Amino acid sequence: MTEKNIIELRGVEKRYGTFLAASGIDLDLKEGEFFSLLGPSGCGKTTVLRMIAGFQEPTKGTVLIDGQDMDGVPANNRPTNMVFQSYAIFPHLNVGNNVAYGLRGKAPKAEIDQRVAEALEMVELGGLEDRGASELSGGQRQRVALARALIMRPKVLLLDEPLSALDKKLREQMQFEMRNLQQSLGITFVMVTHDQYEAMTMSDRIGVMFNGRLKQVDTPTTLYARPCDQQVASFIGEMNILPAQLLEENGDTLSIDAKAFGQMEIEKNPNVATSARDMNIGIRPEQLEITSEKPEDYPSTVQGKVSNVAFYGENIHYHIQVAETDKPISVSVPNYFHTVDFNRGDAVWLGVQSASVIDLGTDTE
Amino acid sequence: MGVWVIFRSEASRGYTLSAPATAYVGFLVAAPLLILIAYSFWTQTYVTLDKTPTLKNYSDAFADPLVRHLMLRSIWIAGAVTAVTVALAYPIAYFIAMKARKKTIWLLLITIPFWSSYLLRVFAWKLILGFNGVMNSALLMLGLIDEPLDFLLYNEFAVVLTLAHAWAPFAILPIYVSLQKIDPSLLEAATDLGNSPFQRFMRVTLPLTIPGIIAACLIIFIPTVGDYVTPALVGGSDGKMIANLIQVQFGAANNWPLGATLSLIAMLSVGFVAIVFVITATRLGRRIR
Repeated sequence: MTEKNIIELRGVEKRYGTFLAASGIDLDLKEGEFFSLLGPSGCGKTTVLRMIAGFQEPTKGTVLIDGQDMDGVPANNRPTNMVFQSYAIFPHLNVGNNVAYGLRGKAPKAEIDQRVAEALEMVELGGLEDRGASELSGGQRQRVALARALIMRPKVLLLDEPLSALDKKLREQMQFEMRNLQQSLGITFVMVTHDQYEAMTMSDRIGVMFNGRLKQVDTPTTLYARPCDQQVASFIGEMNILPAQLLEENGDTLSIDAKAFGQMEIEKNPNVATSARDMNIGIRPEQLEITSEKPEDYPSTVQGKVSNVAFYGENIHYHIQVAETDKPISVSVPNYFHTVDFNRGDAVWLGVQSASVIDLGTDTE
Repeated sequence: MGVWVIFRSEASRGYTLSAPATAYVGFLVAAPLLILIAYSFWTQTYVTLDKTPTLKNYSDAFADPLVRHLMLRSIWIAGAVTAVTVALAYPIAYFIAMKARKKTIWLLLITIPFWSSYLLRVFAWKLILGFNGVMNSALLMLGLIDEPLDFLLYNEFAVVLTLAHAWAPFAILPIYVSLQKIDPSLLEAATDLGNSPFQRFMRVTLPLTIPGIIAACLIIFIPTVGDYVTPALVGGSDGKMIANLIQVQFGAANNWPLGATLSLIAMLSVGFVAIVFVITATRLGRRIR
């Protein structure tokens, strides 16, 4: 990854009639980074990807690729290639001809054959040139689509929900493979996905979109620890959002009254604005300690009752009803000893370290 | 138990379900065909039928230059009709499948010619193309010609024009269906990989619609070779086809054995041309990469 911007979006907007699919998109993508556009379906992430590819023209704003204004440049003349959600494997061509498609007429046959062989080797389909398009499994189709795009040596590879058609095991395997491929090639990958885990495991940075707007662009760890608002906080992983009151602001720390958990000092989140006394705090379920006796080494504690237990195998989720909040608090505990420690109706204590409490600011929407 | 036993196995269920159609085809296609084959080996002697098997009808037919000439002309006219119809139908089908908003309305409009009888449509073409017809009157009125054109009607051109109009929907529909089936992301992928719209059409759209084009060609070619109404009405003496000769054998000439022989020769010729065409078209399609 270099500091050079390979894609720059400046005030990009896309309007369909009265519907605003994307608006106010400002985004700089670095050369060689793996970037994900994450958001629920219909949030405009695919529209942004298609505007970079050239399949859609922005209503407003500019798209620059490698410093070149892409206004009026059709998709076939852009230095980008795409892996489609459906993979779009040409059914009338075999694997070799599918992969060679974009090079036909642009390079001598011997060179094409060699590059096809290399590309197939790269996606671990070496020697399958003569395989028919209809004889491929879902995972193989995905690899062919990748090879077909990468053989063009694009400056940017665009991926539209590339893993959504695969089953869970294969998806997890492909996440690592695609990440490795991206790192060894050093090409910028821009992936659209609605799967937060996919985005977090593969990306250098993630852009979170809601309702046509880019809410936050950050590394996976920052997004998880310092989300910019409640919406992002609850879309990336699970989050207990609790009401609190701001008592005092001291530089980088806030003194708050976290109602259920009492008074505490927490770190100020630079991504949010706290404009009033009423604010929200977030606590990740795995950051809470659950015990039957009042935990000694936790400064902030609260007593509650187990209202629900869900066994996930690798961890156990509890819902704890406490007096001070309407919604039960979620707690996730790793399955250390292959037992479920608490049952519905048990009285328990919850403890949290103030470093785990996230400042979510004042709800402005 | 009882009669329901036959529904037990998957195979017998299939036979049972297709039995009515099989019986129908057997009586109305296979049986007449067998009778036709039998007739072709017999001889007509004035009013009686000599049923001694002979190949004389075949040797007579092959020796007659008129038969060869009419057969080749029939294939040539049917081929021309097929080419003209498919060439005109493809853009229409493309427009409806790829561009049109209200596809159902367009498809309905295409079927409108079927709402009137075929004979009426042929007569309509006679009115348009005739010596004192619409076309000549219009051209005279506009001062583009001084006297009526007489090459519009009663020749091969008139036959091709009339048949191409009549068969257009049969070409549009199969091509439309094959265009409709193309996944739009395939076209985007071709563009993404650097194709101009024309290259994309030649490399993706056209090869994927070859099955539709082949279907359209067969649907038009096979029946038009044997058409006799159109050449009889608008063909004049230059536009006569093999079916007109066959019709004469079964009618005025009263030589059913020769008529049967000519029918079978026509059938086999059409079958041969069709098979060669399908193989060639499929091979050509596979070569596009």
